[in-house]
Amino acid sequence: MKNEIQESVGILKADKGANKFKGAEEPSGVLKGAQNAWDMLSEEQLQKHISTGSSDLNGILGGGIHCKEVTEIGGVPGVGKTQLGIQLAINVQIPMDYGGLGGKAVYIDTEGSFMVERVYQIAEGCISDIMEYFPYHHDKSSSGQGNLQPERFLAGIYYFRICSYTEQIAVINYLEKFLGEHKDVRIVIIDSVTFHFRQDFDDLALRTRVLSGLSLKLMKLSKTYNLAVVLLNQVTTKFTEGSFQLTLALGDSWSHSCTNRLILYWKGNERCAYLDKSPSLPVASTPYAVTSKGVRDAATPNCKRVRIM
Amino acid sequence: MRPPAAKPLVATTTSSSSSYNQHEPRPENPLLLLASSRAAKLSLGCPLLDRLLSGGLPAASVTEIAGESASGKTQICLQLALLAPLSPLSSSSLFLCSDLPFPLRRLRLLAPKSHPDLLDHVFVAAVHSPSDLLSLLSRAQHHLSHPTHSPHRLPTRVILLDSIASLFRADFDASPADLKRRTGLFFKISAKLKELAYRHKCVVVVTNQVVDVVEGNTGNTMAWSSGRQVSPALGLSWANCVNTRLFLTREVGSDGGSTRRHMKVAFAPHLPERACEFVIRRDGVFGVEPAQR
Repeated sequence: MKNEIQESVGILKADKGANKFKGAEEPSGVLKGAQNAWDMLSEEQLQKHISTGSSDLNGILGGGIHCKEVTEIGGVPGVGKTQLGIQLAINVQIPMDYGGLGGKAVYIDTEGSFMVERVYQIAEGCISDIMEYFPYHHDKSSSGQGNLQPERFLAGIYYFRICSYTEQIAVINYLEKFLGEHKDVRIVIIDSVTFHFRQDFDDLALRTRVLSGLSLKLMKLSKTYNLAVVLLNQVTTKFTEGSFQLTLALGDSWSHSCTNRLILYWKGNERCAYLDKSPSLPVASTPYAVTSKGVRDAATPNCKRVRIM
Repeated sequence: MRPPAAKPLVATTTSSSSSYNQHEPRPENPLLLLASSRAAKLSLGCPLLDRLLSGGLPAASVTEIAGESASGKTQICLQLALLAPLSPLSSSSLFLCSDLPFPLRRLRLLAPKSHPDLLDHVFVAAVHSPSDLLSLLSRAQHHLSHPTHSPHRLPTRVILLDSIASLFRADFDASPADLKRRTGLFFKISAKLKELAYRHKCVVVVTNQVVDVVEGNTGNTMAWSSGRQVSPALGLSWANCVNTRLFLTREVGSDGGSTRRHMKVAFAPHLPERACEFVIRRDGVFGVEPAQR
């Protein structure tokens, strides 16, 4: 049995090697545009993830937020959705020299939670952690020091503020052109995706169609431009099975088109994240914390007490 | 005296530019927003409370102040209305009052003797229902987009709503259809307030009452006040509609009789969860150090 497997691996490798001579663009399958599983696996391993700032959280996500995938993150107000969104918009910009993607971010703010001073604070926190982790590196690299300024991180975010659902549709439709012109964007964050759709709509079927259309569009964008799409969502209470349960807003109409789903919740006084849906990872949960530097690992098992000034 | 320069509308999604089509959405650069964001804060008139809020209440954002009755919510709103004209925002206030009658006498008492004309910059409108509020906000939007130029008229950049909870007391039963309609109105009102806040760089403050909670909610939704567990009214749906939530709590002191009050940051995108003790005096609401009482 082992021999057969070795033979198969050998054939696949040879096939892959042969294709390298022909040129990287050449499709290796019978159908144009098809990839064999081996290519897909190597590509998947080359793809980087965007760190969330918390190594525990990265752990349950399989390294971080994945490019080419849509991740939905839901939670109650104050649990840290926007904090995580901003952290990802900063972390995507970590230069490749320091293990990041060196990309830019698109941040679509539908609620007005994007506070620039907090973004600056999180950028400073990220830089200070990089300097701590790479104490000698930035001396060697000539351009390294210049890159690590919070101002640069702020300028690396394309910020759209939208005030209605029509503006939201317009921005998402516009993204295709925008991303074609700004190929360095590696993450698109929408905070939050359902806010403007929770008003009373006369035609609920239309709302469902619009939301499904938006999510399909975003999925296609993530694959076409090899970027991560992160959709922050609110939670609502739903009366199911005789009790009130917390569920993601408008979940029935559109949520199924997300590749991954992360739920942020409170466990006593501690923040926790629960991976609810993933194509390849098991469901798992972990605590995390929101500090002045941004999203980080939970410090100690002790609960966080409110500081009296 | 020259009339104040017309404040230009904040760059909306359809501003023209060399490389962008006029009708295409246009991204902003957060770096360029940093200085103005830091400056556009409405101070509470007390350095301790301002420190709790990292400078004051932010513009382009909806801040909720929740607390029991007589916890200081209205007092703070009146105080803000009187501070706005002399602050760097240099603005007049629109006070939307649903808890009628409007406390005019208290406002008069709060106004410092040195600036008797501060009341000229407080505009009060009575609000009787959610639809009333929505039409008022539409009119306010129109008014803010077409400011009148007059030497004494400051631009309106502070909007205070006292309170959101009283608007929803009547007219709604507990039927699922009504609850759904109520939730829809929360989001409609919030979207309108946020749009006003963003397009005209306004500070928006909404007060809310509290309700008793039976079972312990986790995290930041509840607090102890006057010996009971309370949570802001209007539930999780409304909580999703505000950017910042401040909680005013009240405890009877252990030495018996003396009341201690705290302003607590329940959640905010830019603030850590912390609290500050405060007192309500005749001349306003002020923070106190924990040591001094």
